[in-house]
Amino acid sequence: MIDHQKFTDWIDKWLRNELTETERLEFEMLRRSDPVLAQRANEQQQLAKALKNYGQRTDFRSRLNRIHASLDMDAVRDEANQVSKVRKLHRNGGTIRQLWQTYRPILAVAASVALITTFGTLMLVRQYQSSHKQQEQYSMMRRDLQAIRRSQNAILQDLNARERALQINPGQVAGSGFLLSPDGYLVTNTHIIQDADSVYIQSTHGDIYKAKVVYADRKYDLAILQVHEDSAFRGKTVLPYGFEAGPTDLGERVFTLGFPREEIVYGEGYLSSKTGYRGDSTAYQVAISVNPGNSGGPLLDEKGNVIGIISGKQTSTEGATFAIKTDYLFRAISAIPTDSLKNSSIRMSRKNGLAKLARKDQIKKIQESVYMVKVFKHEK
Amino acid sequence: MTESNRLHVSDDQLLAGLANGSDEILEELYRRYFPMVLHLIQNNSGSEDDAKDIYQETLIVLYEKVTSDSLELHCQLKTYLYSVSRRLWLKQLSKRSRNGHSLIDTEDLADVDDDLIDHEARDRQFDLMADSLDRLGEPCRTLLEDFYIRHLSMQDITEKFGYTNADNAKTQKYKCLMRLKRLFFSVFKEE
Repeated sequence: MIDHQKFTDWIDKWLRNELTETERLEFEMLRRSDPVLAQRANEQQQLAKALKNYGQRTDFRSRLNRIHASLDMDAVRDEANQVSKVRKLHRNGGTIRQLWQTYRPILAVAASVALITTFGTLMLVRQYQSSHKQQEQYSMMRRDLQAIRRSQNAILQDLNARERALQINPGQVAGSGFLLSPDGYLVTNTHIIQDADSVYIQSTHGDIYKAKVVYADRKYDLAILQVHEDSAFRGKTVLPYGFEAGPTDLGERVFTLGFPREEIVYGEGYLSSKTGYRGDSTAYQVAISVNPGNSGGPLLDEKGNVIGIISGKQTSTEGATFAIKTDYLFRAISAIPTDSLKNSSIRMSRKNGLAKLARKDQIKKIQESVYMVKVFKHEK
Repeated sequence: MTESNRLHVSDDQLLAGLANGSDEILEELYRRYFPMVLHLIQNNSGSEDDAKDIYQETLIVLYEKVTSDSLELHCQLKTYLYSVSRRLWLKQLSKRSRNGHSLIDTEDLADVDDDLIDHEARDRQFDLMADSLDRLGEPCRTLLEDFYIRHLSMQDITEKFGYTNADNAKTQKYKCLMRLKRLFFSVFKEE
């Protein structure tokens, strides 16, 4: 058994390569045979190395300090100042790079904020739009017709060819309307005739008359038209249908006539609610299928009384059509300034001669009083 | 010092001189790149003393890499020194917890991550050894330094310290070494 001190000595000698050949052989053997001794040798080697590194660094430091002490600091400072000048001369892009490197974090933050703001705003707008989308679900049943290319004045000046011209150019917007009184007052929707330059009505026979807007009520979406000093218009003595201002019961069978296309179209359904879109008390909800062009058409009950005017439908729900109550038609009429009506007031009849007739015969009579309303306007 | 009486030596020559301990080369190296580092530190809220410390530490990194043959220079020596100094200074700044650790750079940068990790390990070992030696006290410290660092022979040490014979000196050295070993490894192994 070798004692500690001697073995330590050997390790020192081994590290310094001072072992004799026999000592070295014995040392190697000991290391291999005894792991504890091997461990000690390792540790001492580490320690010696750490000491050597320590010494090396301390020595190097003192050398550096000596050099530093001998430096001409003024010259060094001058040179340090020149560093920047040289750099600036050699590289103009340096400034931009410096700015970029200096402000990169700030730019990153700014960019993130901009992104978040942008997308946040977009999302908010989307949410707002979707929450207000229901308003757009109410679509007005007017028909936007092929736009005219030719000047409208040209058409109107050519009075003799009026009919032909109008047939060639069927107007930009079309809806329906029906007679209020035998002497040429009609009712239709304001949304059909708004921004109109001129309004024409066309009967089921294809006769076209010029009409003027007497009154337009945006609130109830009702507009009163009058056939405009047109001798060709033959006034009737009496209208086949009457007007019923009182409330109509749910489930009442109703029908309508209108012009979703060039030909008059009949539609049938039932009254499904006493209020209109979003609880609008001025309108009924009707389960009846309508199409663009039906707007302004009469809504009649089983007996042939006009109980409302078709005005629109809810796009998201099938078969939810809305019709403005006749009561509000009366209110609109009474709101017309008397000047607008000139000589005569609108004489509306509550009598109706259709009650006992079969539906086919009712329609035959009614369709004489339902007109297609064609509207011309300047293209915007 | 003007350009004319400067030594015109290449990076390789500088490194070779550094490795074999030439004072002349070390001085040249020191002078050549100190202004650059001084400029870096002073432009980034440091003082001249800071610059000196950082630069010397940078040179230590370089020196220890060179003497352990582990330097792999993939860029100009200038770029290497700049990058190391910059990193050391950033670390120093974060220690002082100053805001805005983005430095204004004037030089290209090189990747010195690995070298600095090595350096940190060496640093720890160095501090530990310095601490251990401090606690060891005299005369053990000088004795061990003489033997392990200055590589004096046991005979020289016997005479220097006035021991009666070499065996006494050996016993003393052995005791000192055992104490140092305890001090050093008590911490070193925990890490």
